[in-house]
Amino acid sequence: MIENSFNRRDFLKVLGWGSATVALSGCGNTSVEDGKEFVTSYVQTADYIIPSIGTYFNSTCAQCDAGCGIMGRVREGRVLKLEGNPKSSINNGKMCGLGQAGVQAHYNPDRIREPLLRNGDKGEAITWEKALGLINEKVGGVRAENVAFLTGGVSGHVKALLKNYLDALGSGHHYVYEAVAPSVMRAANKKAYGVEMPRLRMDKAKVILSFGADFLGAWISPVHFSQQYARFRKADNGKRGVLVQVESKMTLTGANADRWLVIRPGTEGIFALGLINALAAAGLSVPGDVAAVVKEYTTDRVSKDTGVPTEHIAKLAALLKERSPSLIIAGSAAEGYAHGSQNATAIALLNQVLGNVGKTVEGSSGIPFPQMAPTTGNRQALQILNDNMAQDKVKVLFSYGSNPVFTAPASMKLKENLKKVPFKVAFAHYMDETAVEADLVLPLNSALEDWGTVMPEYIADGAQLNIRQPLMEKLHPGTLGMGDILLALLKQRRPEEYKGYEDFYSYLRNAMVSNKGALGGANADDNTFWEAALSHGMVKLVGSPINISSHVSANGLVVPAPFVEDSTYPLHLIPAVSASLRDGRNANEPWLQESPDPLTTIVWDSWVEMHPKTAAKLGIVEGDIVEVASKSGAIKAQVYVFTGIHPDVISVPLGYGHEAMGRYAKGVGVNAFKILDPVFDKETGELAMHETRVKVSKAGQRVIIVKDEGPAGGNQMGRKIAVRMSSDKVNLSKEV
Amino acid sequence: MSITNLLENWSDFRQQHPSDDRPHREYKWAMSIDLDACTGCNACSVACYAENNLPVVGKEKFAHGHSHHWIRIERYWDNDGREFADQGAQFLPMLCQHCEAAPCETVCPVGATNHTADGLNSQVYNRCVGSRYCNANCPYKARYFNWYDYPTTDNVWPEPMNQQLNPDVTVRGKGVMEKCTFCVQRLTVAKSDARSEGRSVLDGEVQTACQQVCPTGAISFGNLVDPLAKVGKQWMTQQVELNKDKQAKDTAEEAAKLRGYRILEELRTYPSVMYLEQLRESAI
Repeated sequence: MIENSFNRRDFLKVLGWGSATVALSGCGNTSVEDGKEFVTSYVQTADYIIPSIGTYFNSTCAQCDAGCGIMGRVREGRVLKLEGNPKSSINNGKMCGLGQAGVQAHYNPDRIREPLLRNGDKGEAITWEKALGLINEKVGGVRAENVAFLTGGVSGHVKALLKNYLDALGSGHHYVYEAVAPSVMRAANKKAYGVEMPRLRMDKAKVILSFGADFLGAWISPVHFSQQYARFRKADNGKRGVLVQVESKMTLTGANADRWLVIRPGTEGIFALGLINALAAAGLSVPGDVAAVVKEYTTDRVSKDTGVPTEHIAKLAALLKERSPSLIIAGSAAEGYAHGSQNATAIALLNQVLGNVGKTVEGSSGIPFPQMAPTTGNRQALQILNDNMAQDKVKVLFSYGSNPVFTAPASMKLKENLKKVPFKVAFAHYMDETAVEADLVLPLNSALEDWGTVMPEYIADGAQLNIRQPLMEKLHPGTLGMGDILLALLKQRRPEEYKGYEDFYSYLRNAMVSNKGALGGANADDNTFWEAALSHGMVKLVGSPINISSHVSANGLVVPAPFVEDSTYPLHLIPAVSASLRDGRNANEPWLQESPDPLTTIVWDSWVEMHPKTAAKLGIVEGDIVEVASKSGAIKAQVYVFTGIHPDVISVPLGYGHEAMGRYAKGVGVNAFKILDPVFDKETGELAMHETRVKVSKAGQRVIIVKDEGPAGGNQMGRKIAVRMSSDKVNLSKEV
Repeated sequence: MSITNLLENWSDFRQQHPSDDRPHREYKWAMSIDLDACTGCNACSVACYAENNLPVVGKEKFAHGHSHHWIRIERYWDNDGREFADQGAQFLPMLCQHCEAAPCETVCPVGATNHTADGLNSQVYNRCVGSRYCNANCPYKARYFNWYDYPTTDNVWPEPMNQQLNPDVTVRGKGVMEKCTFCVQRLTVAKSDARSEGRSVLDGEVQTACQQVCPTGAISFGNLVDPLAKVGKQWMTQQVELNKDKQAKDTAEEAAKLRGYRILEELRTYPSVMYLEQLRESAI
């Protein structure tokens, strides 16, 4: 460092370099010269840092629950970009836009930087010692059964520690809640196949028939399925797979289908049973009990009930019979009704009749460590917690990885009930809607500066335990990892057991290394095993395979008749799960807000999708602000008119309408979660997301929608831009 | 080099579009995009933001057409007046086509956009004076103008988000035109590494950010001069030739079995990006 007494600028002046002074100040370098910034010389270099050369470190994506392997490009101690880890069998080196935006969750300017304690309406910064001491005092001051822990889906060692902490408290109240989760499908799969999450082998299927599963967009493990889809479209034998999507509102997957069949909402089960009947009529052998159930579902009746033309039902049945194996998927659209379980069962039955089970629907790999297996969430858990809060049974509430104040329907009155809880602790990255309500907010490390292990819910190819490791130093000294916090809390309760672990890293390393035999490292020494795990970003596990069974019973399967018309609320509301925003937890990442919705190309706002016929009937044009009112509430948004939706349906995307969370999320769009009616799936008790009926009325204003669609809309105006041809014209096997 | 020398031998120094007697020598970067594999998911676009320091402009500026995405997904419907879009959408990733005879290059008053020896259409930011003639002349609307000084604009890169900026790529200033570079920073590193080892860049050694992220592998990128490069093989299989404005596909007998085409070829811009037509099953 040049000391201030001998200023470099003066030095240059002495040399007569007058112009250089001007140039230097023009470059904004003055602060360096004045000694306000320190410049570190690379003569004293840090390990693994070569100036201007990026190094890649493997870790695990935290933007959704799919658990893709990522590599972060680190240069001069900063993580700059994320790429897919080619060694991960989930994503094989690929990523999605949501995953790419992970760096914006890390560098986000709105992250909480120190523990905040409520003081009236404000949060007051306190030390971690004080915060953890306060928690100890509060949980010590109430009965164990009055402590509750609400989380999103958790897995790995954090889950194990969380369980240990709850055990140490003597409380078993761990509520796992995910606002957007295929819970009904999981339950139906368990019943039909004995496996909650069977492997879907799209690469082996010749036809995929999906009932509203947006597997290319936001469903379960989209990057994995997108790769499978690419192999399905360009099979080695040159025969291109055929995708048919049946749904009431077009998803990204629907937009890629060879045939998009629009269906009356809720009649997916009827359609599946009708297909079985049509297949039986075409000569497919169908078990007697199934034949008895489906015989009433004639093509004419099914066409009348579902609104799908008879010719398409016949074509689809012929295709499914001719090209085998196929793959039938029950998605969130089919399961989002009060009879969602019946729909899913009928669709599973179709899979079974077609003989796909065991061929394209495969068993899964077991997880050797059940204590680390992902706990999956459902809304029922939140309901129980909510009821307990309403009855003053919850005195201390912890919340981690979910934002129920934002995602719970208004009819649950969750925010009001939350106020009854005397002490609420939120572990959070942002001041989101739930953190705003908390008494103590504890700031978490970002996923790019934290330690952890992640077990994915959908197992792509043999189980793997994903490693999450810091890609760089913590940005803010005041944040902590969830593992570290839990360890500190456990030390308060069981000091003897945990005193050997200085931090979560040492706990994690010890837990992994001491189990290296089971983790496939029996012959390696501790360091080699651990270094290899970190270097690969994962440990491949050998789990005993779970075989799939096929025993969908047609007995007792009653799919209800289509909805009757409701004159007060004539339209069905489909809350759309978008690939970028999902349940809204990533809404404060500007890349996602500015990434156009693939179908409407709208950015930075909510919208109401509507069919031109419906719009004409209501006298609405694009850009009209309308009020969408259900029995449970009302929202206002701009209308987008297009032909990818059933005329009886309108759709509003989820994830928008934050009232807190940060500068990029707050005030953008409206929150469609709020107006969902409290209707539940009869078998599983899940919120039936697609059951809400609404009425739409003009609110008087009109705006110009901000979107990325050219002035001609979706029209090529006769120019040859995006061209399409018939698949029988080309032989894909001859292509490179 | 003296001025006299430069003036006398100007044609040796001037980079022009390769033609029959002056072919591309070592490298000719090109791309092919399979529209049957592209699902329109937008991952490429977000990856491009991350790699190339693109500013997020916000709703108001987006509404005024000031968006910056060097690769965008165009979405078209082919409804023929039908009630429903029952054959889905047509998605097309649109980026700078790196035309061999780029309409943007000829109109630049200061020569800020020009052709490189390895076939890129390059934009020299510190030469650009912001006349926007290139933008007006680009038939693909793939050029983006910096109406604002984004580094100092609120909430584009607030602390500490500016720490994410890629140091290999400049942050463009106000009044400068910008566009897709085929991730030239990655190409430069790969070329330099190869040169120091006394070889050419191998196929697959360098990927563009959009190609690397693409979940379906719809994007291929590589050196058209390299006989082993996948992209070259694809161009050859599809009988698309760089220096022609009418391809085999445009003749009646070949039209049926070839998928490869370039956009607006009749304008004779000779793009370096080939698209493969989307397919739809006729039996359904």
